[in-house]
Amino acid sequence: MLKPARIIEFNVKGFGVPAHERMVLANGLTLVIVPRREVPLVAFQMLIRGGAVGDPPGRAGVASLTAGLLDKGAGARDAAEFAESVEGAGGSFAAGAGPECLSINGQFLAHDQERMLELLADAVMAPRFAAEEFARQQLRQVGHIRSLKDSDPSELLPLYGRALLFGAHPYGQPPGGSEDSLQAVVLKDVIDYHRAHIGADRAVLVIAGDVDVAWLKAAVEERFGAWRVAAAPLPDVAPTLKLRRRRVLLVDSPGSAQSYFWLGATGLDRAYPQRAALDLVNSLFGGRFTSLLNSELRIRTGLSYGAGSGFTRGRVAGEFAIRSFAETRHSVRAIDLALRTLSRLKREGITQEMLDSARSYVIGQYPMNLETAADWAAQLAELELYGLDRTYIEGYGPALRRASLEDARQVIRQAFPVGRQLAVVVIGDAQQVRQRLERYGPVQQIQLAAGNFS
Amino acid sequence: MNRPGSPPLPRRLSAPAAQGAALVPGQAGVRALTLDNGLKIIVWSDPSIPSVALHNWVRVGSRNEVQGLTGLAHFFEHMMFNGTARHGAGEFDSLMEAQGGSNNAFTCDDVTVYQDWFPRGALDLVFELEADRIQGLSLDPALIESERGVVYSERLLRVDDNNQGYLSEQVQAQAFSAHPYRFPTIGLPDDIRGWTAGDLRQFYRTYYAPNNQTIVLVGDVTHEEAFALARRHLARLPRQPDPPAVQVREPEQFAERRVIVRRPAQLALLQYAYKAPAATDPLGPALNLLLAALVDGNASRLHRLLVEQRMIAQDVAADWHQGFDPSLCWFWFTLAEGVDPHAARDIIDTELAGIAAGGLADADLIRARNLNAANFWKQLSTIDGKAHLLGEFDALRGGWRKLFQAPERYAAVTRADISAAARLLLNPRRRTVGMLLPC
Repeated sequence: MLKPARIIEFNVKGFGVPAHERMVLANGLTLVIVPRREVPLVAFQMLIRGGAVGDPPGRAGVASLTAGLLDKGAGARDAAEFAESVEGAGGSFAAGAGPECLSINGQFLAHDQERMLELLADAVMAPRFAAEEFARQQLRQVGHIRSLKDSDPSELLPLYGRALLFGAHPYGQPPGGSEDSLQAVVLKDVIDYHRAHIGADRAVLVIAGDVDVAWLKAAVEERFGAWRVAAAPLPDVAPTLKLRRRRVLLVDSPGSAQSYFWLGATGLDRAYPQRAALDLVNSLFGGRFTSLLNSELRIRTGLSYGAGSGFTRGRVAGEFAIRSFAETRHSVRAIDLALRTLSRLKREGITQEMLDSARSYVIGQYPMNLETAADWAAQLAELELYGLDRTYIEGYGPALRRASLEDARQVIRQAFPVGRQLAVVVIGDAQQVRQRLERYGPVQQIQLAAGNFS
Repeated sequence: MNRPGSPPLPRRLSAPAAQGAALVPGQAGVRALTLDNGLKIIVWSDPSIPSVALHNWVRVGSRNEVQGLTGLAHFFEHMMFNGTARHGAGEFDSLMEAQGGSNNAFTCDDVTVYQDWFPRGALDLVFELEADRIQGLSLDPALIESERGVVYSERLLRVDDNNQGYLSEQVQAQAFSAHPYRFPTIGLPDDIRGWTAGDLRQFYRTYYAPNNQTIVLVGDVTHEEAFALARRHLARLPRQPDPPAVQVREPEQFAERRVIVRRPAQLALLQYAYKAPAATDPLGPALNLLLAALVDGNASRLHRLLVEQRMIAQDVAADWHQGFDPSLCWFWFTLAEGVDPHAARDIIDTELAGIAAGGLADADLIRARNLNAANFWKQLSTIDGKAHLLGEFDALRGGWRKLFQAPERYAAVTRADISAAARLLLNPRRRTVGMLLPC
């Protein structure tokens, strides 16, 4: 059915890093400026190393509440004035916490970049952390989890999955907190987190768009030069371990019409050297429409609207996970099919024809992931976060072209799990599916309405 | 934060004279061609990345459906990927992916849009595949059955297991008494189970005519190349009779309608669906700015009142459905835990009545206008965003050239225009209210 793939011409335009300037201020803040002028916008991305791995034990969500409060009153503005100042100028400003960093990003019309810097500097250096805003933010984040449970429960699968897979390790904690852990946080936790983990030495700021480099450098020095350093050392993250025996968690959602499932295993870290081959194999397994998983669960059988897989790679090994869903009565058939498809990949590997097709696909799609100033701001900030350099991007095209079947075999052996290493999470109607899930191992069960993810 | 004693920052750029009147870079290079068979091609050459976005806008959606066959337009969209006389099932995707391309599609009330994103080297292949499926679809019975399962799963995801989606479907069904806008695009369960190959063939013949489609290309392609490819691959498709016009006019609504649903839930939901004008209505820009002022961002009127000050809502959102015919303007409120939707409704209605009577403050208008301008530029910063806007303006908003008049039209909106839009829209007698109560 597949015609021989034509390897598309490698086009350096898609894999080149745009001209940019990088400097480190005396206080340790890393600044990267990327001038791009196609539209009159300026985007910024600030990443602050640390993130939710710095949450105190039992109080997951501190970093996330801290991030959420940065713009709820800072410097001379209360929360309403801050919002009016951002949005009155047509800007955007968003902050959140991931496992390993706080992320603050936004975009302003080019002629408002002075205001943009002022707001960002206030948010990170002089947040007010008012008690009533804290109480609001806490309620809002708890409410957000509840509204997902009502209207998009499958979005929560990775949180249940990581808790099952990584247990007490920081990667097992929900970066946004759980309903219960958020309610255990007090304002002092947030103030302490800010002092300990937010500072110039932890931060990288990338500004991309319609900018004047000389002016911007001076303006950033001016605004951020007095930013203090973080009081605590960067939190350590211990290595994650592979499961030795399969674990199964059933999240009971009475009356659910479908079962939403996640099959995960400990995977790889950011420094994994075979990244190109990994991306090629994953695109074949679960990363594109004709992938093995989507072909089986959607195209061939019509069991599901979709199925896919992916790797989350952090400072230490994160997870590999498969996700899909099917009507309740087909739950086990769909999970079995996903497991068999994984075994087939491990057993049969891939062909040269498949590899060549994936190569064209990943090369062909890549430029569209790095199209806008905001895309570049996010990408370059991430490189800084993980201590990677521009060869991570510039070397990627050549590495994709070089990746061989032998590389793919190695990746399949190393990175894709065998069945016993899997953590299985199902959100579904326990009354209808519990018994049938026992074939995968002893089933732990919690209610979807419960206040924690484990 | 200005510190005392520090030198003032130089002002960097002088602000553009009038934000709204800005010219869009590259707009002069957009070209359109209509083939003899009526198929229109619009090309915006933009070689900033070595890729091309191709969108095919077909003027058919759930608006063109009838009772008993709801969901057909959307199901048909799925079948467009399932094989032709020339290419077997699955080849559309496998051939495109093997040359570096990806694709998707969406269906709504008014249109069905097919999207391909690919390196420029795949241009010829993509034209060949698109031309092939708009004339030679095979509609294999076995594939129809398996695709039924896929769409049924999509329905369960978006409606049955989604409280917000479930309530919206109920509200939409109540909001119209005659117009097919009452049909859910995904289709009712029995209709999904029931349609036949014959229904699909009839639908294909009627609506997938070249004279009912507009193809937009944006990216690393010149208009000469694109027009030559269009002539080679698409000119031979025969023009067909225009599809039957949708004649139904929804009768005027004179009284508020209500739907109350009880379901397992942690949070109650409240939805308003106001009768609203068609996409081409002259009040359009004012209406969009009104909605931006009400719900876009933390400073918006309803967010500030309901989420920040009164703390009765978790989230607020709104969308004016801009279609061929007058349709709905939606407000969705996810209420905070324990809040009674009736009490929330009273607070919201007082605020909306005040806006309908007194309009907005200057600061609201300025904020809405600037958010709108920033959003416009954001959409124009990708080839996909450009293709979407060109297609949307051409299909629904009176022609693609109007896209480039948008900044000017939005800049010209006054507070009086917004007041007029608010009075027209925010009439409780012309709305349907939906409530979902946890049980």
